[in-house]
Amino acid sequence: MSATVATTVPRRSRHAHGRSATLAGTGTLVRFMLRRDRIKLPAWVGGMGLYVVYIGAALPVLAPTEEDLAAVTPMLEQPVGRMFTGPAYGMDSPTYETFFAGGYAPYLFLIAALMSIMLVTRHLRVEEQTGRAELVRANVTGRHAPLTAALVVALITNAVAAVVVSVLAMAYGFGAEGSWLVGVGTGTTGLAFAGVAAVTVQLAEHSRSAAGMAGAVLAGAYVLRALGDMAAVGGSALSWVSPLGWPAQTAPYVLDRWWPLLLHLALAVAGAVAAYALQARRDLGAGLLSARPGAPYARPALGTPLGLAARLQRGAVIGWGVGILAIGAVDGAFTDVMADSVESMPAAVQEMFGMEALVNGYLAFLAVFTGYLTAAYVVFAVQGLRSEEGSGRAEAVLATSTSRTAWVGSHLLVIAAGAALISVVTGLGTGLAVATVMDDWALLGEVLWAHLNLLPAVLVVLGLCAVLFGWAPPLLAPVGWAVVGLMIFVGNFGELLDLPDWIASLSPLSHPAQIPAEEFAAGPLVVLAALAVVGVALGLLGFRRREVQAR
Amino acid sequence: MSGSAPVISASGLVKTFGKTRALDGLDLEVAQGEVHGYLGPNGAGKSTTMRVLLGMLRPDEGRVRMLGGDPWADAVALHARLAYVPGDVELWPNLTGGEAIDLLARLRGHFDRARRDELCERFQLDPTKKARTYSKGNRQKVALISALASDVELLLLDEPTAGLDPLMEVVFQQAIREAKEAGRTVLLSSHILAQVEVLADRISIVRQGTVVETGSLRDLRHMTRTTVIADLGRPADGLGRLAGVHELTTDEDGQVRFQVDGDHVDEVVRALAPLGVRALVAHPPTLEQLLMRHYGDAVEPRDEPVEVAR
Ligand SMILES: Nc1ncnc2c1ncn2[C@@H]1O[C@H](COP(=O)(O)OP(=O)(O)O)[C@@H](O)[C@H]1O
Ligand SMILES: [Mg+2]
Repeated sequence: MSATVATTVPRRSRHAHGRSATLAGTGTLVRFMLRRDRIKLPAWVGGMGLYVVYIGAALPVLAPTEEDLAAVTPMLEQPVGRMFTGPAYGMDSPTYETFFAGGYAPYLFLIAALMSIMLVTRHLRVEEQTGRAELVRANVTGRHAPLTAALVVALITNAVAAVVVSVLAMAYGFGAEGSWLVGVGTGTTGLAFAGVAAVTVQLAEHSRSAAGMAGAVLAGAYVLRALGDMAAVGGSALSWVSPLGWPAQTAPYVLDRWWPLLLHLALAVAGAVAAYALQARRDLGAGLLSARPGAPYARPALGTPLGLAARLQRGAVIGWGVGILAIGAVDGAFTDVMADSVESMPAAVQEMFGMEALVNGYLAFLAVFTGYLTAAYVVFAVQGLRSEEGSGRAEAVLATSTSRTAWVGSHLLVIAAGAALISVVTGLGTGLAVATVMDDWALLGEVLWAHLNLLPAVLVVLGLCAVLFGWAPPLLAPVGWAVVGLMIFVGNFGELLDLPDWIASLSPLSHPAQIPAEEFAAGPLVVLAALAVVGVALGLLGFRRREVQAR
Repeated sequence: MSGSAPVISASGLVKTFGKTRALDGLDLEVAQGEVHGYLGPNGAGKSTTMRVLLGMLRPDEGRVRMLGGDPWADAVALHARLAYVPGDVELWPNLTGGEAIDLLARLRGHFDRARRDELCERFQLDPTKKARTYSKGNRQKVALISALASDVELLLLDEPTAGLDPLMEVVFQQAIREAKEAGRTVLLSSHILAQVEVLADRISIVRQGTVVETGSLRDLRHMTRTTVIADLGRPADGLGRLAGVHELTTDEDGQVRFQVDGDHVDEVVRALAPLGVRALVAHPPTLEQLLMRHYGDAVEPRDEPVEVAR
């Protein structure tokens, strides 16, 4: 018996030094990650499920018979519609299922991509950055175990999402194969972006830059798909370059083809392979993109709370600003396409963009679109205060003779200025694009004015975030993002889905006049601005009274 | 230490986080111009005390005065007169170390640019590196340099040497002596007795949110016990009978091992001398040993925690 022991033990340990050693502990880590995410992941997947349920229920309300759908389909079929949704397969004779796949499924793909990027970044780069990965790796955990575990968790989550989406779509009587295509397409989109994020977490040393790089890939995919699908019904070459184009190219309920999803799997595998290779070449905690030497001394501006806030918020303003400007300018450049199609559009569509001239309605919508993106920037930027506080950096500043009011106040001031800057620049950029394609320079001023008109509404979101930060900091992220989600929902689907007024009125963007479709009205702006100021004041008061939190 | 009012005086501080009583009737007094060692095992309440002194936390009960003011109500005015180094320094990842040093010092008020450069040199910190590339020790150096270059009356240092290598610890000790010579008061927390011993005029030992001992090192000598391991040429039978010697053992090859109370070291060294000492090692007690002997605390082996579970 002792002989058996003597022969098996060395063999097993020799094995452990081989390839499998780098994966040791993967199973434990998978369970650990699933446990840490036991709220987050079900919330994401549940959110996707609810979305399908809501759309499935709303479509028959919107168009009581499938024939009624024909009246609304031009919205998806026109170039601008295709830009926002997809290649518009089957929109010549729409049914509930093709309308669901053509108009609403693309948002599922986006959500799955975002979920996967955040999942991978959270479990890999954030862990390394905080040093928690070091604690884990010091145990019997192989070098590749965390990466493998994160990918396995992404696989599990996206598989569950695929099943949930497919089953719920089938529950509305949508065709089985098409429903599986929508669901599985959602899952494989998630996997592909998990692969992308697995690479970016190797490159950047900081979780925000890692997530930002992956987000930039997603944004690039969105733009390529938008341009590609705009070019022709059924998409064009550019659509095929974009990972967001592939799930739409399965043409669920129309062509029902599976093979475009193989491209997702190939991207996911390529990403994973690259991530393993890159990981083997770097130290724990390090990134592959190294930092250049910087200033040995601080410039004079960096010696006041306002100077610090400006420096810390700078990146976010530039990043968001460039993105929002780009989207605004591209959308603006399609105004003439909108104008050309005015005559061919049915009443229901005209209603969606406002009662008056469709072009004016479209320009007003562009301003609203910028409005909710700017509101998203505001929520993101105020969350920076939370991470300053949680990391202890706020404490270091507040331990100097910087008052709490000065610290929060200067951040809020910089964020407000950032939002104003984004509005002005995007208004100008969009206006320029509109004026050029329409050959009417008066439109430049109108579009700029439409953007500025919405600024007080965006600042209400800042006021709300300030109140949350001052009085209930844990609610800042959930409530802040919920409000942005609501604004987008109301802005995109409000009139289409015939939402009750009280829901629409929850969005601050619903209150200002829809310039240039409506006449300017000062009343709502005064109220909104006052709300913003009261919110900020309350927030400052709250932060003075509460304790400064640390890890 | 006489005459002038204490720089810090806290009495009966209670601070709870849910069910945890982080501070449980804590009394602390720090006199003008002294280096005060604030010693306690992990989780004893040292950082919580610092955060109350900074007005980041409001105590549930008790009274605190610092530099003649109320830490919560007069925070801004008091902060102009002190510098704080947190236990776990986090910096802005895209600012360089040099920028962070200047920023914090300027936000405090007056600082000495020449002294700042000199400290960078002595601590061997490259101020042009982005903070995201710094190790824990380097981040700690940034906070320390900024604090030491500031023109303040009081330094609140929360485990400032936890990430420093031994060479840098010597630099740190020298810098603290200079601060003391310049008339500054220093509150220096640590969970390692030996680190505080070399610097502190007085020590307060905190355990489970209460200060259990306070006094000069000499006052605390009775609490400490040095472990001695000696290689002797002659039998050491007499040693065991000396006052203050405990747990004497001798192994086959003549190595003796015993513990000696802090206030009897002198007699024991005399008694060892004629026994033909070939090698001698003396260990100072760890804080955990000390607390265990006096309060029966369980020893947690957690000097530098690098592993989570075993
Ligand atoms: N913000 C907090 N929330 C909950 N518990 C805390 C918080 N801060 C400290 N504690 C708890 O209070 C106790 C004392 O912590 P701390 O003051 O950090 O100890 P030390 O600095 O001496 O290691 C510990 O049990 C710790 O877990
Ligand atoms: Mg501590």
